[in-house]
Amino acid sequence: MTLVGRALPRREDALVLEGRARYLDDIDPTGGAHATFVRSPFAHARVGAVVAPGDAPGLVAVLTAESLRGRVRPLPFQVPDGVTAADEPHPILADGEVRYAGQPVAALIAESRPLAEDAAELVEVDYEPLEPVVDARAPGVDLVEFRRSGGDVERAFASAAHVVRGTYAMPRLVAAPMEPRGAIASEEDGLLTVWCSTQDSHRAVAHLAHSLDRPPESIRVIVPQVGGAFGSKGGAPAEAVAVAAAAIELGRPVKWAEDRLENFLAAYQGRGMEADVELAFDGDGRMLAVRARIRADVGAYLLQATAVPPHTAGMLMCGCYRLDAAEVEVVGRRTNRVPTGPYRGAGRPEAAYFMERAVDDAARELGIDPVELRRRNLIAEFPHTTPLGFTYDSGDFARCLDRALELVRPERSDDGERAVGTGVGLYVERAGGRFESAVAALQPGGRVLVRGSTSPHGQGHDTTFAQVAADRLGLEIADVAFEFGDSAVVPPGIGTFGSRSVAVGGAAVAEASDRLREACLAAAARVLGAEVSWDGGALVAADGRRLTLAELAEAEPGIGAEARFDSDLVFASGAYAAVVEIERAAGRMRVLRLAAVDDAGTIINPLLAEGQVLGGVAQGLGECLSEAATFDDEGQPTAANFADYSLLTAAELPPIETAFVESASPLNPLGAKGIGEGGAIGTPPAVANAVADALGHGVDPPFTEDRLWRAMRT
Amino acid sequence: MRISLEINGEPHEGEVEPRTLLSDFIRHQAGLTGTKVGCEHGVCGACTVQLDGQPVRSCLMLAVQARGRSLRTVEGLARDGGQHPLQRAFHERHALQCGFCTAGFLMTLEPFLREHPDPSEEEIREALAGNLCRCTGYRGIVEAAGQAAREMRDG
Repeated sequence: MTLVGRALPRREDALVLEGRARYLDDIDPTGGAHATFVRSPFAHARVGAVVAPGDAPGLVAVLTAESLRGRVRPLPFQVPDGVTAADEPHPILADGEVRYAGQPVAALIAESRPLAEDAAELVEVDYEPLEPVVDARAPGVDLVEFRRSGGDVERAFASAAHVVRGTYAMPRLVAAPMEPRGAIASEEDGLLTVWCSTQDSHRAVAHLAHSLDRPPESIRVIVPQVGGAFGSKGGAPAEAVAVAAAAIELGRPVKWAEDRLENFLAAYQGRGMEADVELAFDGDGRMLAVRARIRADVGAYLLQATAVPPHTAGMLMCGCYRLDAAEVEVVGRRTNRVPTGPYRGAGRPEAAYFMERAVDDAARELGIDPVELRRRNLIAEFPHTTPLGFTYDSGDFARCLDRALELVRPERSDDGERAVGTGVGLYVERAGGRFESAVAALQPGGRVLVRGSTSPHGQGHDTTFAQVAADRLGLEIADVAFEFGDSAVVPPGIGTFGSRSVAVGGAAVAEASDRLREACLAAAARVLGAEVSWDGGALVAADGRRLTLAELAEAEPGIGAEARFDSDLVFASGAYAAVVEIERAAGRMRVLRLAAVDDAGTIINPLLAEGQVLGGVAQGLGECLSEAATFDDEGQPTAANFADYSLLTAAELPPIETAFVESASPLNPLGAKGIGEGGAIGTPPAVANAVADALGHGVDPPFTEDRLWRAMRT
Repeated sequence: MRISLEINGEPHEGEVEPRTLLSDFIRHQAGLTGTKVGCEHGVCGACTVQLDGQPVRSCLMLAVQARGRSLRTVEGLARDGGQHPLQRAFHERHALQCGFCTAGFLMTLEPFLREHPDPSEEEIREALAGNLCRCTGYRGIVEAAGQAAREMRDG
């Protein structure tokens, strides 16, 4: 029976359910020391002398920028095609200046974590406070710039019957995985081994190699069980580099397990963008062009992927619509806040929110029903190249919209006390792209071991990829084992982010499995001296002689195959719809129901895919209802714990209906696109448009009582 | 300070500082790392364990407060070599993704279901409102709790 398409529970669950899974802080290397960091209490200050305690109980070493000089380099950063970026990398430890509250200034290494924390209390740092930049809209220093246009934008706007303008903003958010970050480093015989709570080993190896200026071959990164990431654990953070430098210096293992406060202060945050959007329409409500100016609060430094979300947001500003022309300008301004980077969606939610809010505003101004206005302008033929140059490979936007409306049951009423409204939010997201690889080997006993280059942190790669490989090989799922996340054994790849694991990593697994099958057929033909055919776990010659995979593995050891899969971007899409109710007297908003329809191409495992959607929706709803990383006028974070930065609980989630539309991507053998981010992308515009429908005008999230109460009185 | 207590039915002795948190004692001294620490300020519920059968947040207690008491962690949930109905239901309903919050949910739900053998969905959601999960959107967890309740009643 075919495994792809079946809702199988995860085979990786038992370890976790019984408390046997090993996360970073569950690993205690023998003879290990513990690190803690002294972090800047100021958002912006000059740093003078850093005076370490001469002696403190259990203190082993103190690292500062001074003591690390010549041994580490600032973190690397990536510049997407067409983006201009300032040379402002993040230092490992602050050198002469701190630019955000929480920036690491010194590392204390001691015999235990409590002793390291005690010693940190004794460090004296000479700070001279400087004026912080707290408003990304104020004139200042631009760290990232991106401009692109296509088609005749001037003409489209000049000839337009209507031009609709609006300004929309998404707050900064904290990814807040339940497990904070962490790293353990140990060097032996010239090999640096780093266990890191990160999304994949490849980027962490590259970052450590850059910052420690040593060959990647001399670094092994092992990704243990990871307690969530959502984009916020890409590569190696500055603290991991410091810990590695300490382990090299001391010749013993050193561990850093981040606490929640540090995660709120120093893990990169997401979103924090605002856009002026203009849409040009002809007299029939046909959308001619979009023009957008996006301002991003990128924070104090450029981290590895800080420039990526602003670029992605810009590139996706054509949304799901047929346009003659488009122009985007994206500016990422420096502020004295922790840097931003990818958080579930990473530019996609921002683009969908800006565009979908603008379309609803246009519908109100033009007096056309928002759903009807969308229908008139949806892209219906694929592949479709947008004026900005992205080529959407596949989709069925109209069908997604129809399904979402069917599931949500639209409603609108206002009795003066309660206003009820319905909104929709469409999205198209870039996924896939670049390459991943897989190695499949026939093992003694006849089982197959596959090593994949993407790496799990909750998604369920082990089960999903085993469904793919077992199908290709005609085996039972239990006959295929997987290994991920250890750079010493996995083949080359880019990593797990941007909804790309199945479409690229899964495609590599499929191709490696196909090749293993060919290799087994060829080997069996040699062994039997006859042509053979494949019969699940056995190879059969025309004369009826059979060779099981176990026998083949014994007759010809070492049969294996590998595949590297390269692909252009694939484009997942979806339509979300929400019904909300606002209590006018209090400004209290309740999401009555929500429908999530995603087109991620072929779904390998509907149970796990729905899990991704529901989780993304919960994060999107959190953004709508309560989440915002706020700062005061001094640049101090004012929501740096779970009491002030409030994640939704089980009691606050509304009923959610999900459905999939499966338009297969032509760009990979699975027909897969990506499902990891849709919920976080589609939910905010749907809820925001429902709020606007209820109130008659739009408001930016989070839709707190205070904000809605005020919005009803202006 | 010397403390003795019962952990998952076995007697246990340990030497702790007065300031040692119960969560740190469980994880780093007793070596039971199935209990997780997610926030250290009592909001996320990941560190929930049972003390004399009642759920407590082990990050908000000192190890010395557990002296002479009976402690149960996720490692002690399975009985007679088989998984607890909650563990099976969590697996079947895809109630976990990254799994970091899972032990806290299990140790919160187990005493809740003992005291509320036939809970409504709303009661389950309220009972879980002190535990944060960032991955699942809670639906699988709520469904798993209902399924386990049925199994515990019937079995």
